[in-house]
Amino acid sequence: MRFLRALFLLILLTAVAGCGQRAEQGESEHAATDGDTIVLAAYRQLAPGENDGYYCSRILDVWEPLITADEETGEPAPCLATSWEMLEGGRVWVFHLRAGVRFHDGTPLTAQAVVTNLDWMAKEPRSTAFYARSRKTYYPNLVHVEALDELTVRMTFSQPNINQLYNMMNFGSPVYAPSCLADDGNFSGVAVGTGPFRIVENVKDRYVLLERNENYYGEKARARRIMVRSIPSPEVRFAALKAEEIMGVLDLNAMPPVLADELAQDERFAVSTSRSIMVRYLAMNGTRHPFDDVRMRRAVSLLINRRLLVDALYLGYATPTMNLLSIASPFYKAFPIEQDATEAKRLAHEVLGDRRQKVVYCVNGADPIAKGEAELIAYWLADLGLDVRIEALESPMMTAVMRRGDYDMARSQQGLPSGDPLYVFNGFFSPNGTRNKALSLGYDNPEIDTLLAALNTEPDEGKRRAMFDRIQAISVAEQPLVPLYYDETIAVYNKARLTGYRALRYGVSLREVNWR
Amino acid sequence: MNAWQRYIAWRLLGALPVLFGISLLAFILAQLSPGDPAEILLEGAGTGMPSDAEVAALRSYLGLDAPPYVQYGLWLWRLLHGDGGMSYHLGIPVFTALLDRLPVTAALAGAALLWAMAGGIGLGLLMVRLRGTAAMLLRGMAQVMLAVPSFLTAILLILVFGVWLHVLPTNGVESAAGYLLPSLALALVTLAMTAQLLDAHLREALSSLYAQTARLRGLSETRVLLSYALPNALVPVTAMLGNFAAAVLGGAIIVETVFALPGIGSLALEAIHYRDYPLLQGYVLFLGGIYVLVTLAVDLVLARMDPRIALGGER
Repeated sequence: MRFLRALFLLILLTAVAGCGQRAEQGESEHAATDGDTIVLAAYRQLAPGENDGYYCSRILDVWEPLITADEETGEPAPCLATSWEMLEGGRVWVFHLRAGVRFHDGTPLTAQAVVTNLDWMAKEPRSTAFYARSRKTYYPNLVHVEALDELTVRMTFSQPNINQLYNMMNFGSPVYAPSCLADDGNFSGVAVGTGPFRIVENVKDRYVLLERNENYYGEKARARRIMVRSIPSPEVRFAALKAEEIMGVLDLNAMPPVLADELAQDERFAVSTSRSIMVRYLAMNGTRHPFDDVRMRRAVSLLINRRLLVDALYLGYATPTMNLLSIASPFYKAFPIEQDATEAKRLAHEVLGDRRQKVVYCVNGADPIAKGEAELIAYWLADLGLDVRIEALESPMMTAVMRRGDYDMARSQQGLPSGDPLYVFNGFFSPNGTRNKALSLGYDNPEIDTLLAALNTEPDEGKRRAMFDRIQAISVAEQPLVPLYYDETIAVYNKARLTGYRALRYGVSLREVNWR
Repeated sequence: MNAWQRYIAWRLLGALPVLFGISLLAFILAQLSPGDPAEILLEGAGTGMPSDAEVAALRSYLGLDAPPYVQYGLWLWRLLHGDGGMSYHLGIPVFTALLDRLPVTAALAGAALLWAMAGGIGLGLLMVRLRGTAAMLLRGMAQVMLAVPSFLTAILLILVFGVWLHVLPTNGVESAAGYLLPSLALALVTLAMTAQLLDAHLREALSSLYAQTARLRGLSETRVLLSYALPNALVPVTAMLGNFAAAVLGGAIIVETVFALPGIGSLALEAIHYRDYPLLQGYVLFLGGIYVLVTLAVDLVLARMDPRIALGGER
């Protein structure tokens, strides 16, 4: 018995020691949350840290880009660069920086700091939890960048780069204090930006603690401290909101529609929504029968009742679309939603005749709503002569299956890191586009190729807009893939405790949030 | 070197080929599973569009362009020098990543073991001591606990103690209280199993000749139960709890996910998602090592508890 008592004591000590260690860390957090810290939560780590290409998401308002997007129009808007000039038909761009800006470490924002950032950004490839950080993508054909004076930066490209301004919006032009940039392309410590918040503590996999930047050049953030915790499960975020352990949720997939709707019934909470940058679509394998035939793709698009889909599964927290380009882009063109079951059946019959075709519909197994969506779409597609077999796959496996072309249909999504429509059009519609190949779309339209080439050199804004419109019209008509709807950013928060909480296209109005 | 030391050394040496085998198996399985780590990393949240050149460059940077046997050989060579390699998606040494997550998992495992041990032994003793309806109720309760899966228990506990009563945190481990609900959710099934196993073995022990002899000597029923029957009945219970501890130390993926605990289990899930081969290899080795050490410890404890059990499997 003495031995058993000793064994029991040993286990007890192990548990207490483990808890004790966490409790010590907990004390640090308790000190941080004590008082006026607002605690929010996201489904992922919004500050993955030193080895992430951006260190943290743009939505934390820690770092700022040279160019941002106007929240209403999506057009390029000044941020750290207040004005700019395009010279030599787009081969040279000159940016004038905002005066009087200081990084969180007190050093001033200078043209040389921007040059250092661009040199650092060239250390590719760099993976991130958000969008790949690639200088080649955001600054195509950049050959030289130099500081003309204290606040002027000149970029020289080997080819005209008319759309450069759109390329540089948000994730395209982050600027950090040179002191936090490591030689290997990572960060040497906490990211030091110019934003209204600075990072005071970042505990991996648990939380990031932000503090108001008292020296911010613009209107200061209202909250003194905000903690953003990482809570992967939506049900747990829901419970944490109900238990008032967190005051709000943010980021993509902040709250599934059904849970947001339930929270909205509770008088303590409010749901704020905004048009998201994310478009959900149905990819079609255009390299094999039957979706190598434009009539079959059109038939699927015409048959799907997007409105019903959105109302039934997303409770209205999404907007039907036939256009792959995100509504966040200033070049987005609205097209009427076509739904015509008779025409769809006629087109499908032209392709299939009286035969029935077996098709494989891949869906991310971790996304329960996408699985429900697949069931509904599969039910509809039976009317076209398509016998759908749904395969719920792990996300990386699904990516591999699609690249191999070993599927027929798959549900996927696309965001927009900058405002540049070419990011999406080149990726999906160019024969060598990365997404075109990765999804085995097999799409090739010579007219689109010509338009994409012309857009690289056409400086006239009106003509450019017309070309973007034309590409969108072709894609809506030919449906190389079938866009379904664009998301709404759902931000649920405790309205009894917070003010200023508003969903933005990407994230929430963090700098306006405060205790009520 | 005495018999115990020889036994421990023999068991540890015997574990080496096992660990090598499972690491090789894990590597082969990871290589066979579809998905390119470089592509997954560059795609970020599934919306990035890395070019073929960018993917190729990252593959080269990560050493993925080498033939698989070279990759495995390099990993093994580094391991022999105490280097578990770098995690692809975290960008930090594998051993650091594992050690970062270990305290949470260790505390969770310790707390769950306490629940299972104290609760299971207590319940088992009550089941033996009580009679009639009370005993039936306890046995019924143990059956219910066995039938309810841990994720459902977890959600119920969150609802009751976090959302309704506001007495315990719904997630996270910012204080020691954060471990109460996840460890309970994790332990409940084992607690019930422990109680049932103990109940059965105690009843067998109490009807044995030595227990009857003890009663004839005038010892009280409680004394017979605690001093004679319990030590014998605890032998199989200890073996079961040992396996439970090893399983939890390897990562309780569902409970860690539900309660947002940054432990070993969620790290393993990340490694699988990102096809992070070095991290996966490190995790498998860690898991294997834990099992080897825990089963060794259990064997030693059993041998200490019951002198009839000789080390090496002979009785």
